[in-house]
Amino acid sequence: MAEKEASIFIIDLGSSMAESNHGRSESDLDWSMRYVWDKITDTVAANRKTLCIGVVGLRTDETNNKLQEDEGYENISVLQELGPMGMTALRDLQSSVAPSSSSTGDAISAIVVAVDMMATFTKKLKWTRKIYLVTDGQGAMDADDVDDIAKKINDSNIQLTILGVDFDDEEYGVKEEDKSPQKAENEQTLKTLANACTDGVFASIGEAIDQLDLPRVKSVKPYKTYDGSLTLGDPEKFPAAMNINVERYFKTHLARPSGASTVVVKPEQGGSQSTETVDGGDMEGIEFSAVKQNRSYKVNDADAPGGKRDVEFDSLAKGFEYGRTAVHISESEHNITKLESVKSFTIIGFIPWNKYELFLNMGEVCVTHARKFDEKSELALSSLVWALNEVESYAIARLVTKDGKDPQLVLLAPHIEPDLECLYDVPLPFAEDIRSYQFPPLDRVVTITGQTVKSEHRFLPSDDLNVAMSDYVDAMDISTYGVDDEGEPSEYAPIEESYNPSIHRINHAVKNRAIHPDGSLPPIPPILLQFSTSPEDLLTKNKDVIEALIEASDVKKGKAKGKRRRDAVKPISGLDVDALLGDDKGTISPENPVPDFKNAIGTTESESEIEDAAKQMGDIIRALVTESFGDSKYDQAMECIGVMREELINIEEPKFFNSFIRNFKKALLSGTLGGDRRDFWFKIRYGKLGLIDKTQADTSDVTLDDADQFYKQR
Amino acid sequence: MSSGDHGWKREEEDEADQEIDETSYKTQKDAILLAIEVSESMLEAPPASSSKKADRDSPVQAALKCAYHLMEQRIISNPKDMMGILLFGTEKSKFQDDNDGRKGLGYPHCYLFTDLDVPAAEDVNKLKTLAEDGEDEDEVLKPTSETVSMSNVFFCANQIFTTKAANFGSRRLFIVTDNDSPHSSDKASRSAAAVRAKDLYDLGITIELFPITRGDEPFQVGNFYEDIIYHENFGEANSTDVRSSKSGDGLTLLNSLIANINSKQSAKRALFSNVPFEIAPGLKISVKGYNIVHRQTPARTCYIWLDGEKPQIAIGETTRVAEDSTRTVEKQEIKKAYKFGGEYVYFTSDEQKTLRDFGSPAIRILGFKPRKAIPIWASVKKATFIFPSEEDYVGSTRVYSALWQKLLKDDKVGIAWCITRSNAQPILAAIIPSKEQSDDDSGTPYLPSGLWIYPLPFVDDIREIKAPGELAKSSDELTNQMRTIIQQLQLPKAMFNPKKYPNPSLQWHYRILQALALEDEVPEKVEDATEPKYKAISKRAGGYLEDWWETLEKEAGNAKQAKALKRDPDEALPERPAKRSRAGSEKPSGSSLNQAQIKAAVENGTLAKMTVAQLKDVLGAKGLSTSGKKADLVERIEEWVEQSV
Repeated sequence: MAEKEASIFIIDLGSSMAESNHGRSESDLDWSMRYVWDKITDTVAANRKTLCIGVVGLRTDETNNKLQEDEGYENISVLQELGPMGMTALRDLQSSVAPSSSSTGDAISAIVVAVDMMATFTKKLKWTRKIYLVTDGQGAMDADDVDDIAKKINDSNIQLTILGVDFDDEEYGVKEEDKSPQKAENEQTLKTLANACTDGVFASIGEAIDQLDLPRVKSVKPYKTYDGSLTLGDPEKFPAAMNINVERYFKTHLARPSGASTVVVKPEQGGSQSTETVDGGDMEGIEFSAVKQNRSYKVNDADAPGGKRDVEFDSLAKGFEYGRTAVHISESEHNITKLESVKSFTIIGFIPWNKYELFLNMGEVCVTHARKFDEKSELALSSLVWALNEVESYAIARLVTKDGKDPQLVLLAPHIEPDLECLYDVPLPFAEDIRSYQFPPLDRVVTITGQTVKSEHRFLPSDDLNVAMSDYVDAMDISTYGVDDEGEPSEYAPIEESYNPSIHRINHAVKNRAIHPDGSLPPIPPILLQFSTSPEDLLTKNKDVIEALIEASDVKKGKAKGKRRRDAVKPISGLDVDALLGDDKGTISPENPVPDFKNAIGTTESESEIEDAAKQMGDIIRALVTESFGDSKYDQAMECIGVMREELINIEEPKFFNSFIRNFKKALLSGTLGGDRRDFWFKIRYGKLGLIDKTQADTSDVTLDDADQFYKQR
Repeated sequence: MSSGDHGWKREEEDEADQEIDETSYKTQKDAILLAIEVSESMLEAPPASSSKKADRDSPVQAALKCAYHLMEQRIISNPKDMMGILLFGTEKSKFQDDNDGRKGLGYPHCYLFTDLDVPAAEDVNKLKTLAEDGEDEDEVLKPTSETVSMSNVFFCANQIFTTKAANFGSRRLFIVTDNDSPHSSDKASRSAAAVRAKDLYDLGITIELFPITRGDEPFQVGNFYEDIIYHENFGEANSTDVRSSKSGDGLTLLNSLIANINSKQSAKRALFSNVPFEIAPGLKISVKGYNIVHRQTPARTCYIWLDGEKPQIAIGETTRVAEDSTRTVEKQEIKKAYKFGGEYVYFTSDEQKTLRDFGSPAIRILGFKPRKAIPIWASVKKATFIFPSEEDYVGSTRVYSALWQKLLKDDKVGIAWCITRSNAQPILAAIIPSKEQSDDDSGTPYLPSGLWIYPLPFVDDIREIKAPGELAKSSDELTNQMRTIIQQLQLPKAMFNPKKYPNPSLQWHYRILQALALEDEVPEKVEDATEPKYKAISKRAGGYLEDWWETLEKEAGNAKQAKALKRDPDEALPERPAKRSRAGSEKPSGSSLNQAQIKAAVENGTLAKMTVAQLKDVLGAKGLSTSGKKADLVERIEEWVEQSV
């Protein structure tokens, strides 16, 4: 992976490359360059000094190469000498790659120029050497020395790839019908040359471009996560205990989209001085500045304004929270809460396969095999793997990857393939990792009276639905739906063909943006969405089954929010609690505002009473904020505002809330509610408790835009 | 990579893991107020018994111990959540130590033992003294002779929640009592209680009842509490039942109470709500997602200010500044830039949004595969439990149930494209059913039954494995010996139950913190349930391990020779690590024959004269199968000679 690699691209810039052919809207050059730019930007993205690129123009107007003294090397220009590739070089290159007005220039000579460049640059050192020729095969070429040139290429260990615009390619299945005799002859010459090379490839550029759509998966060096013994029993006390020398590596590891840096555009500075760099690196042409996070610390202090005061970071000690108690841990004891553990990998027991469920897997998987060149360990592990496989069992093991690391529990599963006998291990949950949430049963309904209903209930599937679901699941089997390379039925959407859409979407867009800084975002490459819906023809085939399922399901989109009937809320017994309420309906007390408000709203239809309730609630909220010492009553106020807003949306009376919140905002920002209350306004904004807009309540006269503006305006 | 990158990444991950509620203005915290009735019957000790396992706790004591247990656990599992303890029916009365101490008078016979808050070390200590040590200096556990007004108890709880846990996403009142009919002859008081209970409902406070029964007398929920308790969620009308705690069946009252309360320990919070689950084109139902399995880690270190009266945690605030000018940066100015070829390529925030946009949230089934099609190694992230909700699509529950039943019956899984919240990265996942909890075959009776979203790896997540090359293969004998060992060492009930394995480092961390906070002695060692039971292993499989070991020694010697023989013509291999060696086997073994000898044997036809054991040795040493009759073995060796010569 750390191989040094030198690639030279010979690009045909002849006037004929400006033409568009075979119904393509792009010129042949632009089309071909898709492939070249892709290769080059990959190199730029890798940003490695040992990946070098050179570019030679063929059929250029000028002549600029080291062999130009000799005859036959006219109209060949070196556009870039071999060297590492950066963005600046990329931009320079972009401006020089354009069709010329020449039609002459010998492709074979260009290859000789490239071979010479390669020899000069890489000398006898260890490099991977690649030369690409991209041409439409329209220029005349001298085919006499092809054999000698092939020999030279082979002697220099160069891989030659010839990609032609609309060259015939049987394997790929293209043949150009109205080919000019010149082009046909050239194709033949080039093919002969490619075949004479040990590492020669001759293909149509169309095929190469097609393959660009396949996202490239970054390969990562194997990472050893454990190297030591796998034991069963205690080898210290019991000599016959199992003790196998093993090595453990990642099998799966979550790949993440490339990280973006957080930056701000630098403000215009008077007179351009030396370009400042972002993080001290040798970055070119930057107009950004990195964003740093500054942390300040506060503690509660009853005497300070707002109840909090700043403290110096240096005056702080490290510690942990135990509940709300701060436990200080002195520097000398900083490890005291860390469990002392000793590196080990030891089996604690076995369970049968059918008693394990995949959804217990907590994350990434590793593979464990015997240490290399250790026959005894190989044999021992082999016996464990085979035995687990035969009795269909998994082992449960405790793993400490290094001294002092937290112990983990893992499940060990046997895996056998021709050259590999190994154990896969999956991390398991501990007691604390399982949350005991209660859910009602799915195959029966327990009614209020405690009776169990097993059928004929709206929560239970009818027989029809069960049949329809069964038919649907059977019809939509995709385990043999796909087609493999040999045309045999195979699994649809196998892991090997599913690319992470987020990763490749970003890579694709970044690359695209690097080449076309002013272009708009490219659309999502279709291959990234291939598994976002069921295969079309499978759906078409099963149209009837799907329709039957939809009918049997009889699912209805939930009712639109409307006036909620208050009397629907009853305790289990069904008691009408509202009827028990006394006469003081409609009064909202500061001690019990939320229930009082809900009662008031729920038991009236009269607009004036609603308005009155909203007004009382508004007074309580203002009082809470005014009385609040620092932010001590903010949460109570937030709760009241939230309830008021929700309830008024439910009964479709947004205007009372909207008029409240408008005035309230003014009061907050003007400081009439007990001082500076801007922090409370931020809370409202964050909690999205502003104006009720039309999308939230039909009767609102506030548009979505107005509501947005309301949050933004100060 | 600059540190800024990491910061951003972490932010994003945290975001993805955060649990949400439908209403975003609420604080995502949980508050539990445990209300324990103090009465003559609740204080009555169980009948004396000589049995060691017999119950010794009165219901109040059991409830307090349980509260102590709960408090300790919640400090670990829910460090940001609140808890309080209210005793009612006490002779004494006490309310929040607020500015005016008179407030307690408003709630007679309600004694707020621990105010609702994130527990502090003192709270833990105080509760421990009362519960575990049984010391009650203040005589709080003395019942009143008067009748306690339940409406008053409920209003007291109301005030505690409203002031201390305002705007919390989850607030729960746990009532522990043995009295199923308070105010049995006083209709007005019952009505008043019902009205106050409704207030609690309006406040979004859930009442969980933990009835205590003694003997055969059942707790009659219908007498009083049916007017008090509401269904938790109209989307899930199918509610779970109230389980009463009792002593008996080998279970102490304490254990039974702990089991019941533990099941409600954490507030049920949704990870995502009402996401459309597209079972087929044109058939959507709505589901909520729950983080049932979630790695619990020790809280991060914090900074403590020691210069005040008592140590205080300093609260950090982050501002973003431009590195060059140290000017504070507003959120809108921030752009995301990618490093590309030594330069930044950047996108506006709108473009950045577009890049992350793969459509609105949905769980869309593409088709179905047998469960076996998902290999064990296809794991990258924990799974999420989904459960139907009737809120957006009426009929969701029955369709979900039908799918769950079908997948279980045929042992199939769905394959789905999932975006569980807006702008989340899309994933491919298997939709896997979990078995009914009461099902004897279920390996996971501690998990709810329903469907799980099990994230599958993308090809980008798969690491290449460098196969170590040709390996020595175990003989049938060695494998068989290992089989016996495996069968001997099955875990109890032949299943892995995580509940039996507390996380040793987490337990240690909090155990030490607790000791430091309470100024107790720091323990030397705490129990670690994840350590193998070495004694049991030796006892149950020691002999078999010895047999296996002997065979291994023998075969290892042979394999080494065979490999050396094979490698001979090749270039010299690196030194192998020295091994403990026992005296080699005396018997002439088949694998000691070199290739030329075997070849000669094949040609002379003397192969058939060798014993089956010798033939197997030869085959084993070459990594070939050793199964079958003698004729098969001979044939296999002949084939091998033909191919390799």
